Amino acid sequence: MQWQVFGQSVRGAAHERRGTPNQDALGWLPRSGAGSSLVAAVSDGHGGARYIRSHVGARLAVRVSTRLIHSFANRHKDAANLSLIKRTAEEWLPRAVARAWLDAVNEDLQRNPLSQLEAEALGTPRNDLDGHAIAYGATLVAVGITNAFVIYVQIGDGEILTVTDGRVLQPVPKDDRLVANETTSLCAAEAWRDFRVAFQPITQSRSSLILLATDGYSNSFRNQAGFLQAGLDISQMLRAEGAMRVRNSLEGWLRDTTKIGSGDDITVAILYPGKSKSRSHRPTSSATTRGAKR
Amino acid sequence: MTMRPGGELATRPLHFIWIADCSGSMAVDGKIQSLNTAIKEAIPHMQDVADENPNAQVLVRAVKFSDGAQWHLSQPTDIADFKWDDLEAGGVTAMGMALGIVADQLKIPPMTDRALPPVLVLISDGQPTDDFAGGLQALMQEPWGRKAVRIAIAIGEDADQEVLKKFIGNPELRPLQANNPEALIKYIRWVSTAVLKSASSPASQTMASSVVGLNVPIPAIPDEAGSAADDVW
Repeated sequence: MQWQVFGQSVRGAAHERRGTPNQDALGWLPRSGAGSSLVAAVSDGHGGARYIRSHVGARLAVRVSTRLIHSFANRHKDAANLSLIKRTAEEWLPRAVARAWLDAVNEDLQRNPLSQLEAEALGTPRNDLDGHAIAYGATLVAVGITNAFVIYVQIGDGEILTVTDGRVLQPVPKDDRLVANETTSLCAAEAWRDFRVAFQPITQSRSSLILLATDGYSNSFRNQAGFLQAGLDISQMLRAEGAMRVRNSLEGWLRDTTKIGSGDDITVAILYPGKSKSRSHRPTSSATTRGAKR
Repeated sequence: MTMRPGGELATRPLHFIWIADCSGSMAVDGKIQSLNTAIKEAIPHMQDVADENPNAQVLVRAVKFSDGAQWHLSQPTDIADFKWDDLEAGGVTAMGMALGIVADQLKIPPMTDRALPPVLVLISDGQPTDDFAGGLQALMQEPWGRKAVRIAIAIGEDADQEVLKKFIGNPELRPLQANNPEALIKYIRWVSTAVLKSASSPASQTMASSVVGLNVPIPAIPDEAGSAADDVW
């Protein structure tokens, strides 16, 4: 079965007032946005004053996670032993993603060491290289789909919704520690421990929608029911009006949403089953929004 | 454009709660009148700060405590509609009970997990006469109690600094010592503006970097107003 993905990232209304950049990122593999094996990710760079390169950290999170999950999905897409795949996903992916992100951050730091000003903002000495990864702090919300299974991978705040047979579900368990703008993070020591991974074998009931979102989206609704309704509505719109209408409307919706709601950056990826290999929409409005580079 | 998906959109609520000592000693040397004046004078400045950040909905409440504790302003009131009814002094200092009723309102529900960190401002000129430890424990058992920005203002030299420090729960933030009306006005203004502004637009951070009691960056505290010669409390 073919899946397709499109998405959008908009700078938060409050970020625009403060002059801070969009610190979210969005990406997917394959870059065409369509395939029987498809991976998508969104990431939210922390907005605190210390996290001066979190917009870069978010891009790196999307890049390394989509590569790793795509590779994992392709490696196991025909395997019959789903229990083994599940265990491998739960045990290996968090460590692999956390390590790959840190490696990518260290590469970036080698190419672009922190300036004195950045080190001061971070609050660590310039020669304390181990502490510099904190400047890149970001969350990660990702999904990998094959014909046999779906893997959801998350660290930190953000949301994953699925719509199956008209019901909206949240496949990844809630982390009750995430309140008051505090989040688990890729930049934490032993970050792999804070990953939440969910594994779903593909059964008769297939999701008609998988939605990934940074927390700026869910925080913009008056209550959780309103956010869950967004999943149902988008699923309905995809069916009734077609993906093109939703794609073309998404940026406007999100801009309205951040203005009326949380004021935070909002990034959404929408995955849905598609019958053809039609080319996916390429977002154009945000520097942080792109198909992940291989 | 197709109709926007999802339910009603809303800005994030920011609960700002005054917790005011109305014991009999607050009647001495005009303390209670000064507190009433300071809060009233701060209202337009709070409204200005709220206007600057339309993505936060500032909702104000107030608790008063003396022989018991009760809501002085029970409904979360939009800052645009906030008016201050004068407090009157008389009785003892049931500070623990006051923290307990605040704790009840910080449970989820009625709070939502999408709220911004609440701001709790405790103002006192004396020592608790009830189970302060029990009230504080009830407050700190609630996630929003632990994550709240907790500020304390000590009025006069008889205020119990140690109790106020326990309420704040962080050694980096001391109680604000107001020994005269000018200092009280200055500190109330600071809480109402600088702290409110910081709390209304907090940026995300890792759990490891957050210190209990300093969930949002605390802006620079103003110097104490006047000299010792000006002190009346």
